[in-house]
Amino acid sequence: MHYGGIYEDEIVGKAYDRRLMGRFVGYLRPYRWLVAVTLILLPPMAAARLAQPYLLKIAIDNHIVKGEMEGLPLLAGWFILLILAESLFTYAQVWLLQYVGQKVMFDLRLALFSHVQRMPASFFDRTPTGSLVTRLTSDVEVLGEMFAAGIITIVGDIMVLAGIIGIMLWMNLKLSLITFSVLPLLVWVAFTFRRRMREAFRQVRARLANLNAFLAESIGGMAVVQLFNRQAREREEFTRLNAAYRDANLPVISWDAALYALVETLSSIAVGIIVWYGGGEILQGALTFGALVAFIQYIEKFFSPIRDLSAKYSVMQGAMAALERIFNLLDNDHLPSSKESPLPSGEGGRRPGEGPIERIQFRDVWFAYSGDDYVLKGFDLTIRRGETVALVGETGGGKTTVTRLLSRLYDTQRGSISFDDTDIRDIPLKTLRARIGVVLQDPYLFTGSIEFNISLGDENARRRVEEAARIVGADRFIRQLPNSYREEVRERGVNLSAGERQLISFARAVAFDPEILVLDEATASIDTASERLIQEGLRGLMAGRTSLVVAHRLSTIQDADRIVVIHRGEKMEEGSHQELLAKRGLYYRLYQLQFRD
Amino acid sequence: MPGKDFDRAGSNGLQLDVPSHKQANGHTERTISELARLYSYMRSRRGTYLLGGLFLLGTNSCALLIPWLMKLAVEGLQFPLKAPHSPAYYALLIIAAALLQGTIRIFSRTTLLHAARRIEFQLREELYAKLLALDLPYFSRERTGDILSRFTNDLTNVRMLMGFGVLNVINTVIIYVAALFLMVRLSPSLTAFAIIPFPLMILIVKRLSASMFRRSKRAQEELARLSSHVEENVSAATVVRAYCREDAQIEEFREVNGRYLESNMGMARLRGWMIPVMASAGAFGTLIVLFLGGSRVIAGTLTLGDFVAFNGYLAMLIWPTIVMGWILNLMQRGAASMSRLNHVLDASGTVTDPAEPAPVERLRGEIEFRNLAFSYGEEPFLADISLAIRPGMKVGIAGPVGSGKSSLVRLIPRLYPVADGQIFLDGIDVNRIPLVTLRNAIGFVPQESFLFSRSIGDNIGYGKEGAGAGEIATAARLASLENDVHRFPDGYDTLVGERGVTLSGGQKQRAAIARALLKDPAILILDDPLSAVDARTEEEILGSLAGYYGDRTVLIVSHRLSALRECDLILVLEAGRVVEQGSHDDLLAMDGRYAATWREQQLRAEIETF
Ligand SMILES: Nc1ncnc2c1ncn2[C@@H]1O[C@H](COP(=O)(O)OP(=O)(O)OP(=O)(O)O)[C@@H](O)[C@H]1O
Ligand SMILES: Nc1ncnc2c1ncn2[C@@H]1O[C@H](COP(=O)(O)OP(=O)(O)OP(=O)(O)O)[C@@H](O)[C@H]1O
Ligand SMILES: [Mg+2]
Ligand SMILES: [Mg+2]
Repeated sequence: MHYGGIYEDEIVGKAYDRRLMGRFVGYLRPYRWLVAVTLILLPPMAAARLAQPYLLKIAIDNHIVKGEMEGLPLLAGWFILLILAESLFTYAQVWLLQYVGQKVMFDLRLALFSHVQRMPASFFDRTPTGSLVTRLTSDVEVLGEMFAAGIITIVGDIMVLAGIIGIMLWMNLKLSLITFSVLPLLVWVAFTFRRRMREAFRQVRARLANLNAFLAESIGGMAVVQLFNRQAREREEFTRLNAAYRDANLPVISWDAALYALVETLSSIAVGIIVWYGGGEILQGALTFGALVAFIQYIEKFFSPIRDLSAKYSVMQGAMAALERIFNLLDNDHLPSSKESPLPSGEGGRRPGEGPIERIQFRDVWFAYSGDDYVLKGFDLTIRRGETVALVGETGGGKTTVTRLLSRLYDTQRGSISFDDTDIRDIPLKTLRARIGVVLQDPYLFTGSIEFNISLGDENARRRVEEAARIVGADRFIRQLPNSYREEVRERGVNLSAGERQLISFARAVAFDPEILVLDEATASIDTASERLIQEGLRGLMAGRTSLVVAHRLSTIQDADRIVVIHRGEKMEEGSHQELLAKRGLYYRLYQLQFRD
Repeated sequence: MPGKDFDRAGSNGLQLDVPSHKQANGHTERTISELARLYSYMRSRRGTYLLGGLFLLGTNSCALLIPWLMKLAVEGLQFPLKAPHSPAYYALLIIAAALLQGTIRIFSRTTLLHAARRIEFQLREELYAKLLALDLPYFSRERTGDILSRFTNDLTNVRMLMGFGVLNVINTVIIYVAALFLMVRLSPSLTAFAIIPFPLMILIVKRLSASMFRRSKRAQEELARLSSHVEENVSAATVVRAYCREDAQIEEFREVNGRYLESNMGMARLRGWMIPVMASAGAFGTLIVLFLGGSRVIAGTLTLGDFVAFNGYLAMLIWPTIVMGWILNLMQRGAASMSRLNHVLDASGTVTDPAEPAPVERLRGEIEFRNLAFSYGEEPFLADISLAIRPGMKVGIAGPVGSGKSSLVRLIPRLYPVADGQIFLDGIDVNRIPLVTLRNAIGFVPQESFLFSRSIGDNIGYGKEGAGAGEIATAARLASLENDVHRFPDGYDTLVGERGVTLSGGQKQRAAIARALLKDPAILILDDPLSAVDARTEEEILGSLAGYYGDRTVLIVSHRLSALRECDLILVLEAGRVVEQGSHDDLLAMDGRYAATWREQQLRAEIETF
């Protein structure tokens, strides 16, 4: 499988972690005050919780032991108050943490999605849909787990830890050092585990993406799978991926369990050591009994935040692995960038790409989708304003490629395409594309109403929906639908016939009323009678409009001013229908074949 | 959910709990029924779960042992002369217990959590198997992104329940039983009073749970919608760019994203209550004990020592109780997600293998429609189609856009459900032919070519297990694809991208033709197979197909009548009905729609020759 390659994570190590974290903290910035409030809430929350046993102690010592019931109700009142306060603080804290977490996830998803919108078409040739979906959903969800685990309160844990260390050192230096002697082991383990856990988590994330990529494709091609009775084989492949995902997860669990158990064990071992050593000291009279008991209690308190931290540790590692993938996608923009800001005005105060285009020119265009497999080789073409130019030629010859280059879905490797001497690379992408209306060879319909599919939600286009549908002859079938233009189209337009889908995609281009119309096999799936209607409808529309028409059926290009025959990426012939017939070349032969009878 | 850090019940010495089984009963009926399927998974792994439970018991016992050893050690130190053992003795015991506890802890966690991963694996397998068995109507209803979301996000929730959920339930039950046992030993009546607040809490939590379920489900649905939006946006990458819809798409995404955020915040508000509610249960219990126990101590019916100890146990119940709140949350989310998975697992396809299959091995290719009627929704669409096709016959199908050509041919391999008694192959009702036999006999070229993101060779050889390079090349030659493939850098090993995006329209279509031809079927169905190829290639393909046809039954749909000319029988469909039928010459003689279209196609050619 060819996916994954682009996202190989290579940089590992501490510096990288810090950068990753630093970048992530950037996403917390807008909510720093809320984070601060969360942290401020920690002490009162702890106080409310810790005061409860203290009240109990007072109740016992001052009342119950002395047999004085008086004052007890007051204490009870305080007690209830404390319970309520604790509940309130906890609620506020949990809620705030969730709020910040969800907001950050919202921002990240939006950032990712917006970034994906800026990616060029070539990116999608290589990136499986399912894998991108995973990145925007599951990978971000993992971060949610990190928030839920209370990653923000790590600061609190660390502060508590520092405090306890301080007190312990102050109480008894020697005992403290002995207790801390287990720490280097812990640190060492944490570091070794981190590398392995991270690696394991990377595998987990990558394999989940693969699994989803496979699944998404499989769902799309289910009809083919079933028609060819390939269920068993697909299942096998799925099982392989599914097992790979499971197996990537198992070590993570083991590492996590080991780390958890280790911290727990170390804390008890520390107690053991203290009993051993401290016991000896007491026997020698070097230590008071009370000091030892207190110390043991502090050890408990000392390990409690460490346990908390270790529990968050693997969640953190998982989140970091997910963050790596998220940021890798966000950083993936070394592809040909577009000039989003318009260039300074050219002569005559006109900005490039504005005003009527007199001439579209392809000059010695070389293009390869990958490496140096040139699909277009030195392609030249000039289209003047108002002209209809037809591109014909053998399948796979590069016709669609020409149309893609025109709207800069891809960029040429050599040569140039220009509008009135302005290289299209100097025209802001939006301006460029807004001037071109394309009927794609493979129509794509969205889930949504027919009206939405024609207008794509564009205000201006919306006003022309019905008119456009009438022009391309889609109006008739749309009106027959139960809900007419409001009829819901299902994913990819599966509830419409192929021809109907094509008509809608055609109507879409017309509704946008573009200056340049590009039709790529726009009537390939349409019957003759409907096609005639379209041609009649289009006649008015195309008059005075620059159009580039790709067609296999020569009958559909009879109105073209000029016909260009393209063969294996090169322009072979050019001229009007009559001229080309007279030439008795490629076009003549194509023509003969099609209209032999 | 604060994931893993909740599994620490045993680690701080004894911690006790109260509420668990009562609350397990407190779930809505709904939750139970949604989770019923999971019980069977657990049952089939009961050995593992039992082992995990035993390990937990072991590790918790060690956890209880250590404070006790410590108490002995401290007592020993308090009165060194009376002590039976040296401090070192106790220290060693503590260290030994700690090591034992750690070791068992590892096993307890890996056993239970691995089991959850395995169940997740199994569930995912079953889900996928189900998808493979579902029919086209199902896939035209559901959205890809939604199914994807079920497979990952919903499954994750279920797994959390099966892993951490179960682990913590067992843990809590152990501690709870131990604590209750100790408390009852001290004072049964006081115990009864101490747990008074718990039923109340359970009531509240039950209320919370019900809406937790609803909100969880909503959140999962929103997530699925978000996932669908991304899926669609990525699939439509070219359209989005060509029409500059990027910003509009971002706006739409922001909205979907916002709704998901909103639904999650709804969850958070509820979840926020869970912990304080559960925590107060314990605290109020303490309060009751303080009053009742206190007065008993004063009255002299309870010793002060017992009172203090009792309070200690009760305090230990607080943490596990909070954990219970978390588990309930997990449970509701798991149940909500499981209900979404059940939706897939319980979906019933309308196209299923026959209960009593007819004994057929091979089909010869005879097709008969008897009064065929078919509808997508309420209104009948195809109607009154009756026709007998002898084996080896070539049948052409023409008709305007949306007239039902594809719908008709799709019914033969039962991509959509057919009523009994309407389509017969070799005289057998299609619904009685095993699906595998039926589909093996049919080579189908769909109108829209779908290729898998594998090599082009694998795509062509898709229909035949272990197709050799020679066969693939032959099929490619028949479909006039060979020259194109030779021009590709890696030949037949060239990867084609998702849905074949890196091929040209005509290349995709020819690959789909080659794929069907390689299958060597008795019935070949071509749904507008040449719409994306030029005249020369069309001619070439039609030429080689004519040689390939032999005695196969062929159905070919086309808008170009020239491709249908040689057919033995041509059907003209309109609005789901056959309006004309006969051979090319018959139809011309009939002078109806076919003849009109034919003349128009001819006329166009002639106009241009002038
Ligand atoms: N996204 C892509 N990545 C890599 N190669 C591609 C891609 N799209 C097309 N090609 C290759 O470029 C060549 C020209 O393709 P193009 O789609 O331009 O042909 P076409 O003339 O439109 O053919 P058709 O008439 O079949 O649609 C083909 O060999 C094709 O395999
Ligand atoms: N899955 C579906 N659910 C509901 N309606 C559908 C579905 N598929 C097709 N239709 C409708 O049924 C009618 C016939 O569609 P069909 O695809 O059979 O037409 P067709 O003759 O193949 O047309 P074309 O020439 O465009 O391929 C169309 O009006 C279409 O809207
Ligand atoms: Mg093309
Ligand atoms: Mg069709």
